Amino acid sequence: MKSRLILVLPLLIFFGISIFLFSGLFSDPTYKNQVQVSRDIPEFALADLMQPQVIYDQSVFSGEVTLLNVWGVWCVTCDVELPFLSQLREQGVRIVGLYLPESVDADFGTKPLAQLQREVTAKLQRLGNPYQFNILDADRQYSIDLGVTGAPETYLVDKKGVIRMHLIGDINPQNWQTQIAPLYQELLAE
Amino acid sequence: MLAELGHFSLALAFLMAVALAIYPMWGVQRASQTMMALARPLATGMFLFTAIAYGALTWAFVSNDFTLSYVASNSNSALPVYYRVTAVWGGHEGSFLLWVFVLSCWTVAVARFSRAMPQPMVARVLAILGLIAASFYLYVLTASNPFERLLPFYPVDGRDLNPLLQDIGMIMHPPMLYMGYVGFSVVFALAIAALINGRLDAAWARWARPWTLAAWVFLTIGIMLGSWWAYYELGWGGWWFWDPVENASFMPWLAGTALLHSLAVTEKRKLFKSWTVLLAIAAFSLSLLGTFLVRSGVIVSVHAFASDPTRGLFILGILAVTIGGSLLLFALRAAGLRSLANYQPVSREVMLMGNNLFLSAATLVVLLGTLLPLVHKELGLGSISIGAPFFNQMFSYLIGPFVALLAIGPLSRWKNQSLLALRGQIITGLLIAAVGSLLINWQYSGIEAWALVGTLLALWIGVSTVQEIVSRHGDGQAGMQSLKRLTPSHWGMVLGHIGFAVTLMGIALTSHYSVEKDVRMAVGERTELAGYQFEFNGVTSLQGPNYRGQQALVDIYQDGEHIAHLRAEKRFYQVQRNMMTEAAIDGGFTRDLYVALGEQLSNGDWGLRLYVKPFVRWIWAGALLMALGGIMSMLDKRYRLAQAKTNAPVEQLQGQTV
Amino acid sequence: MNPRRKSRLTGVLAIMLLVAGAIYMVLSALSENMDMFLTPSEVIQGKNGTVPKQGQRLKVGGMVIPGTVTRDEESLKVAFSLTDTGPVVRVEYEGLLPDLFREGQGIVVTGTLAAADLVIADEVLAKHDEEYMPPELAEKMKGIKHVKPQDATY
Repeated sequence: MKSRLILVLPLLIFFGISIFLFSGLFSDPTYKNQVQVSRDIPEFALADLMQPQVIYDQSVFSGEVTLLNVWGVWCVTCDVELPFLSQLREQGVRIVGLYLPESVDADFGTKPLAQLQREVTAKLQRLGNPYQFNILDADRQYSIDLGVTGAPETYLVDKKGVIRMHLIGDINPQNWQTQIAPLYQELLAE
Repeated sequence: MLAELGHFSLALAFLMAVALAIYPMWGVQRASQTMMALARPLATGMFLFTAIAYGALTWAFVSNDFTLSYVASNSNSALPVYYRVTAVWGGHEGSFLLWVFVLSCWTVAVARFSRAMPQPMVARVLAILGLIAASFYLYVLTASNPFERLLPFYPVDGRDLNPLLQDIGMIMHPPMLYMGYVGFSVVFALAIAALINGRLDAAWARWARPWTLAAWVFLTIGIMLGSWWAYYELGWGGWWFWDPVENASFMPWLAGTALLHSLAVTEKRKLFKSWTVLLAIAAFSLSLLGTFLVRSGVIVSVHAFASDPTRGLFILGILAVTIGGSLLLFALRAAGLRSLANYQPVSREVMLMGNNLFLSAATLVVLLGTLLPLVHKELGLGSISIGAPFFNQMFSYLIGPFVALLAIGPLSRWKNQSLLALRGQIITGLLIAAVGSLLINWQYSGIEAWALVGTLLALWIGVSTVQEIVSRHGDGQAGMQSLKRLTPSHWGMVLGHIGFAVTLMGIALTSHYSVEKDVRMAVGERTELAGYQFEFNGVTSLQGPNYRGQQALVDIYQDGEHIAHLRAEKRFYQVQRNMMTEAAIDGGFTRDLYVALGEQLSNGDWGLRLYVKPFVRWIWAGALLMALGGIMSMLDKRYRLAQAKTNAPVEQLQGQTV
Repeated sequence: MNPRRKSRLTGVLAIMLLVAGAIYMVLSALSENMDMFLTPSEVIQGKNGTVPKQGQRLKVGGMVIPGTVTRDEESLKVAFSLTDTGPVVRVEYEGLLPDLFREGQGIVVTGTLAAADLVIADEVLAKHDEEYMPPELAEKMKGIKHVKPQDATY
């Protein structure tokens, strides 16, 4: 009987391990994928990505429910979400981009603005342009104020300019349907 | 059109695998010769159609067919042709296609080289391989199809391949690993067949050994290449990092090494049968687990976010069925595998058992260290990481007794060994090793206890291996004659053990006597490190075909003599906007000198990282020796003798042991 | 109790002792070498109600606040501040910084907590591309790159 027990042991160990593997598949490594928050969007004064003479501040968020999408041309996952975001724009969702310039070695200098604009235009022509406009966070200071940890990330901002949800990772049909859209509809009704 | 052909022939291969999984097994049940005889042609067919599919995808890469989404995201028209061929396994879909292709190669090899096995055994083994193959074909076809088209909108050109990937070490690393991983499926299938059959004899062990050796040799080389690549390409002087990707390949290697030794006992002494079967299951299960860990993103990527987990779920399903099913079968049937021979507490059997225990303990340590962060997080205790010191500490505990068994084991006899009789050899061996170890360590300032122990153990293995050959075969003229009579598999063991000693020596010395220094240097300045003077002679700019960069010129002197001129680079790849550090290495038999370029500091000084790494090359040289030993063992005549007697019944073979 | 049973009992006891000893060694090695991942706010305010103790080993991931990087003129000593919106943690380090270390960048440091808000780092690495990727993508880019946590240059 005892030896039988020993023979079953490997099976039990494997069973235990696979439970964790299974839950690991569905768990979210960032441990805060969608966070419902409630705080005013931090103040800022930043230039438009395409027209540097245009300066935006936090008032661009008042009066409308907005998705503030943090992205960059260097970000591969952003490519994946751009087409879906463009569909959302066609459905009337207001999306504003916060452009996060890529990290480059200072020894080799940052990318000239003109080149950046060309690359952005090319990318948006290819994959669809979901943005009303893009805010350029040139020195990444505003990203720090917002608590951005990477790209893509999206903030759902209500009509009073209050951040209501912070989403880490891409927006896809699944999480739009299940997590974001309900809150979005609710905010529209407010 | 070729891609569709590839897709179609992959589907055909899947159907063949399903047929292969069903008919021969059914044939054994009904004792139908015709149904069992289907196994070989079906295996061949499965291989052929997989080869066509693989060829089609390779052609799509070579011909820059960017309508295929997989090609578009893993290649570029500017990529040289040979890198396009290897880019086939650069991504998820392609590497799984390579996986099933390798599996079909092993299957067809079993079909081809199994004339010695009785037909029901062949039928069962091929059917089990077919079953495994079928599940992976299904995965490739439904969840990870590399032949998917990007129509009607396809890109004009593909994304470029990562520069790190464009390297010979990285080209050979994945296929070698896969050959090893998947190779364990053969001994796995043999073990399952033996469990179903309820009988496991010396003949079985003799079939299983060459297949296990082959897989083990591939895995050894694969791991070695990965380590070597990390050393010279990553630019940080490390050769093993205990990261999950490496651990995933190391666990099946440890289990496979235990299996090799356990198989030897099963062959010669008809012992440890259920243990051997368990190890055979474990080696393949750990290979599958490794594939899952690396491919599902459960552990590998810190950055991965919860996305559609169907792919991971599919592989986990395959894992659950394959591993769970085989362990269940083991729990039900293993009690029936009786080991009859007897032996005393001190004997070669017990030493090998001890060796197996230590290898299994090491496997469990690696498994624990790899999975604990996941378990910790899933239990809601927060994210943690387990550092290399944990593994190093555990392995230093294990290595001493393990080497003692390794040194004494080959000297001792089967069944019963008097320790007293071995006393002389053990004391001589230890003494020679201790003196040698002191002499070697003397050369380094500040002798480290663990380095002393490590070299002592390595030398002891060497000495005792010589003692074993001498004691068994006498010395002098007669000894030379009998040396020639030693079987290749005996030489294989000798080479394997010497190789392990060489690796151990390298690890012990390089881990404890490597000196590393981050220095701030002005042009013309000299820094002394471990008896070498590093002279920094400025930085020049660099213009490569697809990168810009800077190159530091460093001259190295020893005792006033110029011994090396190194150019350490820092490159900036413009297309990918990617920084890479290209370290410069001056390799040597007893030491490597290694320079990496850091950043420029405010007043024109530069940060440089300098290393002197003693005996680091021995680590990979030892691994090569081990692999060579494995190949030697495979060449042993007794595995081929068995093949010549095509129609000999099993019972007849059972009695023979060489 | 007959002699045979007695010897078996001692055998079982010896094995249990050995196993217990082995488990103890594994656990003690684990507790010494387990690094918690924390954000700067969690270092200051604690996580799940427990604030990390001084002298504890940990990993902290956050953004380098622009303008806070100070270098020593004579050596490779460097200090900077990390944040994730709220509280700030000061980091001190001596050695080469990774290629992608920049102000405003996400980085991860490993080290010991010297004061409530000071980490003495023995390792600094830049978060690769600060990007969240689907697992296949991450695996493709990182698996192949062999993420070497302590040696990553990104």
